Amino acid sequence: MSRIQQAIRMSFAIFLCTTQLYAQNDQIMRDLGRRLFYDADLSINGTMSCATCHEQRRAFTDGNRMHPGALGDPGKRNIPGLANVRAFKNLTWANNHLSGLAEQSLMPIRGTDPIEMGMNGYEDEIAKRLSKNECYQKLFSLAFPNQHGAITLENVTQALERFEKTLISDNSLYDQMAKAHKPLPLKEAREGEKLFFGAAKCNSCHSAPLFSDDDFHHVQPQNRQTDNPTTDYGLSDVTGNPKDKNFFRTPSLRNAAMTSPYWHDGSADTLRDAIRKHNLKINQTLSERDIDTIIAFIDTLSDSSFITNPKFSKPNPECPY
Amino acid sequence: MLMLSTLFAREATLPAELSAWKSLSYVNAAKNADELNDAVLILNHASLVGLSNTPKVKYPLRPANEGGTVSYGGIFQITIKESGIYRIALANASWVDMVKEGKAAVSIAHSGGPENSGIRKMLDYTLEAGIYTLQLSAGADSTSAVLITKVK
Repeated sequence: MSRIQQAIRMSFAIFLCTTQLYAQNDQIMRDLGRRLFYDADLSINGTMSCATCHEQRRAFTDGNRMHPGALGDPGKRNIPGLANVRAFKNLTWANNHLSGLAEQSLMPIRGTDPIEMGMNGYEDEIAKRLSKNECYQKLFSLAFPNQHGAITLENVTQALERFEKTLISDNSLYDQMAKAHKPLPLKEAREGEKLFFGAAKCNSCHSAPLFSDDDFHHVQPQNRQTDNPTTDYGLSDVTGNPKDKNFFRTPSLRNAAMTSPYWHDGSADTLRDAIRKHNLKINQTLSERDIDTIIAFIDTLSDSSFITNPKFSKPNPECPY
Repeated sequence: MLMLSTLFAREATLPAELSAWKSLSYVNAAKNADELNDAVLILNHASLVGLSNTPKVKYPLRPANEGGTVSYGGIFQITIKESGIYRIALANASWVDMVKEGKAAVSIAHSGGPENSGIRKMLDYTLEAGIYTLQLSAGADSTSAVLITKVK
């Protein structure tokens, strides 16, 4: 065997080992992130985990208009679902400054507008609590070997991000029919699909395949009444630009039939309410029958495997490693 | 805090089904199934309940939100004599599971309590007759108040 051949073999062996190690570490990170996602010790009084608001059975929403924080502070916005969250550049209802899911996870953990998990100023407490748990000691050691298994808030958020990136929803009836190059089986849904992508122009913002354009729009009614006691001007609260006032990110319609109520403030109880709430000229031309068909189409975006997938559910108490 | 809640409740206007909320008797929660006989709740009687630190509680059914190590929880037994819709009113935001034969009933409605009532959370369930285990988990305090009442 020539030296060149030996070098190629050696390189290939190193590549294989690296790939396997990466895959193994990725799985450990996902498992760690999943365990943390369901752990209420990430909140000040141990009452709230990420899953308290992001319930799998509700497509990772919670069924409330807004959810009070661990200390009883009122929520600010409706809980968004997490389906395909890895594909979004802009995270949450109105923020274009977040670098990724790890940074985003700090908003509920230690954010103050609103106070959700209430850990602002108590970040060290998270490491203290998790360090007492043998399983976490092991998981952090395996997931962060270069940091000697350091249990830090940064590593917590990195692991949460890895788990959240696994939350993929692409097995709805719509997806199944699209993959099979077949039309939707229900006539009403087919009519709705035609309207959605055609005259009603829903897909202008709720564009496939995410059924969101991942962009910000101003579609809420003028002079709206709201029960929300907090002031919420959407994107301009982050950018400081008055032109961004009342701009909110287009929510994905995947699993929307399972994630009522709707709108950034949860003020639309039903899909019909939400469709009617869009302050758009096209809305004035839609009949009740049109809306029925659009809702029938949105129903086909429900992915039951997403809400039952055991890989996303609360992990067993036993340590996986 | 809870005493204040009950004082407020004396002034609040409560619907008939919640009128029992105004007078509380103390019940200590069981930490495991073996202690349930000493942690009995009675229908239409409000109870001030003592809860335990979560790591000390062994729930018969793992709660969806079992709470962190610094939270509080406990379990109780209650007999439902006839089927119907029942409401559980709580003074805090503990996670609630009504368990019978190893399965948790699914709530059919949830809401907050009447203003100034001291009731933080209300859940409605359709229940069959039988003996239930009420599991409270992920509570913020070592005490709470609970009332179970028939709505329909």
